[in-house]
Amino acid sequence: MIELLAPAGNLERLKIACLYGADAIYIGGYEYSLRANAINFSKEELAEAVEFAHRLGKKVYVTVNIVFHHNDLKGLKEYLEELVSIHVDAVIVSDIAVISTIKENHIPLEIHLSTQASTLNDEAALFYQKLGVKRIVLAREALREDIKNIKDKTGLDLECFIQGAMCTSFSGKCVLSNVATNRDSNRGGCAQICRWTFTINQKDQVFSMTPKDLNMSIYLKDMMDIGVNSFKVEGRMRSVYYIATVIYEYRHLMDKIMSNTLTKSDILYSNDIINRCANRESTPQFYDKMPTHQEQYYLGREEVSNQDFLGIVLEKKDHLLLVEERNYFKVGDVVEFFGPGMDTKTYQIHKIYDENMQEIEVARHPKMHVYLEVGEDVVKYAMMRLKVFDKNDYL
Amino acid sequence: MLRKMKNNYLVLVTNHTLEEKLREESNVTFLFPIEGFTVGFPTTFSLDEIPRNAFIFVNRILDTVGIQEFKEFILNLPSHIQGIVFDDIGVLEVLNTIPNHLTKILFLNHFNCNYLSINTYLNYADSVVVSIDITEGEVEEILKRANKPLTLYTFGYVNIMYSRRKLITNYNEHFDKHLPFISEITNDLKQEFKIVENDYGTVIYPNEPFNGLRYRKYDHVLYHLINSLFLTDEEVINIIHSKSNLDEKYPYAYLSQEETIVRIKERS
Repeated sequence: MIELLAPAGNLERLKIACLYGADAIYIGGYEYSLRANAINFSKEELAEAVEFAHRLGKKVYVTVNIVFHHNDLKGLKEYLEELVSIHVDAVIVSDIAVISTIKENHIPLEIHLSTQASTLNDEAALFYQKLGVKRIVLAREALREDIKNIKDKTGLDLECFIQGAMCTSFSGKCVLSNVATNRDSNRGGCAQICRWTFTINQKDQVFSMTPKDLNMSIYLKDMMDIGVNSFKVEGRMRSVYYIATVIYEYRHLMDKIMSNTLTKSDILYSNDIINRCANRESTPQFYDKMPTHQEQYYLGREEVSNQDFLGIVLEKKDHLLLVEERNYFKVGDVVEFFGPGMDTKTYQIHKIYDENMQEIEVARHPKMHVYLEVGEDVVKYAMMRLKVFDKNDYL
Repeated sequence: MLRKMKNNYLVLVTNHTLEEKLREESNVTFLFPIEGFTVGFPTTFSLDEIPRNAFIFVNRILDTVGIQEFKEFILNLPSHIQGIVFDDIGVLEVLNTIPNHLTKILFLNHFNCNYLSINTYLNYADSVVVSIDITEGEVEEILKRANKPLTLYTFGYVNIMYSRRKLITNYNEHFDKHLPFISEITNDLKQEFKIVENDYGTVIYPNEPFNGLRYRKYDHVLYHLINSLFLTDEEVINIIHSKSNLDEKYPYAYLSQEETIVRIKERS
């Protein structure tokens, strides 16, 4: 089984992730999630999310991955039973208290061990396997040989991050946030102190430990070959545009690998699209080597934020697309549409109509609705972005 | 079967002089960071440097090579080593697979914040180090409900971040500097931290030691762990001998007196 696993911080993002090609989505419920400051899902939204995903043949995993204190244990059993009644496909946990609660109460939930447990070796994996864990989300610090060894020795389902932000620390092994700001990193309040700058040894030298993002696109095939089952994108706090872009590109790359048609130009093109959307540099980090200074930021991020995301297609009406604007665009701009089940389409805007079908030159107000004459092959929920990269340049 | 211990301080040793000075103390057991298996210590020890009846400390997260080396290490461990304090769950699995005589104390740093987790791990280990990141009230509750005597981190600098990255080496390479592998960093809030790198990664500590000497009043404690890192021998000896909690000299309570914040804003 090979799976592309997407994050979703709310119902809209979950639906977009499903439509853009994720095989499964992981979300935070209304309790016990490490993204305490995300909106997360209410009970009703959880049920709707699962129903929506299952209708499309996708799975939903719910994070129950905080480190539990006594007070957090109250209601845990009932919460887990509620997840069963909603038919979630698995829970992602880091604290053995959750595993213990599931087992002692015979709660029929599939258990995935969170990356917070920092699993790097087969013996640790075996310990959790004996406790009933079905899948392990490996530490982002896992080297290729660690992943292969754990797979070979345990046969467990393995989930690995392929894209997104990295902690400087082993996940779960850091309470810098607690100490510096009293915000509990292992209960969802991380203030990301590792992205701050410091002075070192009481001099004016700026010290930084911020990692660049993870990007495993060049190793996807190798990861499949050594037995990784689930390819995970980080970012439950990320926007709908980010999720659409990243899932669309990785779906494309994974499908090409499976049909044995992947080329280097596909990877290079997708990387540029993803990095520009993420607005951060990204690299493979630990898989192929120990990270050096080239995998970190030192003088702050050098990328300039962009307004590439222009709008979402809300509806198709004959030859017209109803687009909800997100960033300024005008007649004459060269844009791209990409969306569920469609190839990326380049289009030069020659006319824009407002909601009263009056021709306008510029769409300048976020959320305004406009009509574009684009043609038949752009689908509902497609994203519209400024064209920056031309795939032909990569051939 | 856990042996009845007459000692109740487990002193994490960072130099031999401290061990020599405390050798005659009847309530002290020594804990040595082992070379190749620890992070965050400027000094580590080889097996032949470790005296009889001491514990060994293994706090690395072990990768494929590391866990294999650890198995070989355990197979060749002298019988005079009394116990082990460790972080990686793979180590626990190895210790429960390969026959050995060791007292096993799990120190899963930043986890074990509740009695249920601790009691579950106590099915596999002889004792567990209670999380340092919780309030004193939570510690007390755990001690009441634990199925075996526990180990409390009672004094010393606390490992608050462990990275597999060599953060100082990388910095030196990037800027062509030669910063030492034990340094101090300061953030914009003027909070100071110590940062220590070795071959296996980097650890950050707050710039003052956690004082939990008041925890000595509690029962159901197998050991009070005293970390001597960055302390002088005299300070450690004074801490062990002192009947008072030395609050004026060491006022830092770390996270033990205030609940941490979980949510910045509640769901609207």
